[in-house]
Amino acid sequence: MNAVEIRNLSKNFGSKQAVCGLNMTVPMGAIYGFIGENGSGKSTTEKMICGLIPTGGGSIKLYGKDYTDGDVRAKVGVLIEAPGCFKGLSVWDNMMLQATNLNIPDAEKEVVKVLKMVRMEGAAGNKFKNCSLGMKQRVGIAMALLGNPTLLVLDEPLNGLDADGMRIMREVFTDIVKDGKRSIVVSSHLLGELQKVATHYGIIRHGKMIKEMTADELDTSCRTYVAIQTADMNRAKSLLGCKYSRVEEDEAGYIRVYDMTTPEEIVAYLYENGICVTEIMTDKIGLEEYYIDLMKEGN
Amino acid sequence: MDANKELKFESPSFSKRLKGMLGVDFYRLFHTPMFYIFLAIAAIIPAMVSAMTMMPDQNGNTMEPLYSNVWQIIAASEPLYVINTIADYANMNMVFIFGGIMVSIFIGHDYRSGYVKQLFTTHAKKQDYMMSKSIVCAFAMMCMCITYLLGGVAGGVLAGYSLEVNASSLVIAILGKIIMSIGWASLYTFLNVILRRYFGVSIAASFFFGTGILIIGVAAVVENLSLPASFLNIFLYGSSVNACLVSNIGTLFVCIVVSVAWAVIYNVLGTKILSKSDVY
Repeated sequence: MNAVEIRNLSKNFGSKQAVCGLNMTVPMGAIYGFIGENGSGKSTTEKMICGLIPTGGGSIKLYGKDYTDGDVRAKVGVLIEAPGCFKGLSVWDNMMLQATNLNIPDAEKEVVKVLKMVRMEGAAGNKFKNCSLGMKQRVGIAMALLGNPTLLVLDEPLNGLDADGMRIMREVFTDIVKDGKRSIVVSSHLLGELQKVATHYGIIRHGKMIKEMTADELDTSCRTYVAIQTADMNRAKSLLGCKYSRVEEDEAGYIRVYDMTTPEEIVAYLYENGICVTEIMTDKIGLEEYYIDLMKEGN
Repeated sequence: MDANKELKFESPSFSKRLKGMLGVDFYRLFHTPMFYIFLAIAAIIPAMVSAMTMMPDQNGNTMEPLYSNVWQIIAASEPLYVINTIADYANMNMVFIFGGIMVSIFIGHDYRSGYVKQLFTTHAKKQDYMMSKSIVCAFAMMCMCITYLLGGVAGGVLAGYSLEVNASSLVIAILGKIIMSIGWASLYTFLNVILRRYFGVSIAASFFFGTGILIIGVAAVVENLSLPASFLNIFLYGSSVNACLVSNIGTLFVCIVVSVAWAVIYNVLGTKILSKSDVY
């Protein structure tokens, strides 16, 4: 049984096709990184999973049950666009209201627990409107965590978080899924951060799932490259460009050679041509570059 | 697979769900200034209307009083479905106009804050939302009726109007109007569910329906068809007007039936619309 199983899902807004024959499988215990460009259909899909938008066709199953089933939906935590807090009330009051809504028996204890999880226990008395963007995101995640949900659907939860906030979120995500029963669907444009926690990925484009894979599969798919720095970068790039099929200069100023080669071979080649290599290393492309490559292929 | 077996999915019962939602909505109602502002408005408006009718004009002459009796500020002397003067209009029915605006703001906050996204994700049953809002908003309107009563009586007494009245008819009229709050609150909840994306339009629509402008058109149709004017009592505005200073126990019965019937209709329609439409 999977946490989320979507088959042939579609949704139109007027004449615009937002989601088109989408298939998606989120295994239990997975942190599913849901990636795509703006307007690719991520949020629409997430809203359909949460029952916020009626589907235009296809099926969504959550833990083997239809997504409209009240029992399974009671165990879905969500953060989509806004945290769902009333700005005039304090963080604590907002949390308690959500706990009341969810009929949590020992509400105060539960609220304290989730506020601690997102490191917001010290700011519980703050009015929501006075919280910073990062704090609001954390409160939103805390709200989603109330009631011990089996599935969390988080739309851009890392937006607005500082480095420490992102680290905390990574810890929280890892902690949630560690029992192997709970799952998280998380969409984010911060692919570097997502790669640090995601166990599975789904890449969506124009409303269609173009790739689904595990973190291990991504690792295998990511090409290795040799990155070098030399005393004469322009000449080195030109020389390497003649010998190898794909040579690029990255943002950090390194020349990357993506072909199957060894550092020794490159050093020897450049040395023969009178160029001294000052720095050399081998590495793999990350999720971000993989995604960009995939998008380029699509274009 | 063992892990799968341990997962239990059970949603709370209807009563628990409704209790939870009502708890949230009542808490919000009592902990936001909006409710108290509207209570104050409901008290001040009748007091101002009655006091202003006794003020001298620019030439220093005392204006002709709009009312002859304190209780006309609360309910009209007879069922006036189509009004002729502001005095015919300015009675407790005005609460249903302020109430409509209050409901628009209350429900508008639900959508603008993203609260409904949280709510409808975990609460698949949309009728809970309709019921909870209708109950809480009806309660708020009932409270506004009471502050209107207090403000109206205080203003009327200060203005020196007579207190003479048929007590039983007055009590029935007040109770009738308070009971009509249930139907009006459901109408406004329904309107705001339909117009949830357009906050300004939802306020305008609440105002439009609250003023009972539509009843003028219906009254003309009723007259052309030679139907009795009491036919208009099947509408919320008609029944609200019918609860006047010549009311009898039958009037109260009509108010209860009409208010509850429209509340059910609007709740069912609202639930259907919510179930079939997107949550923004």
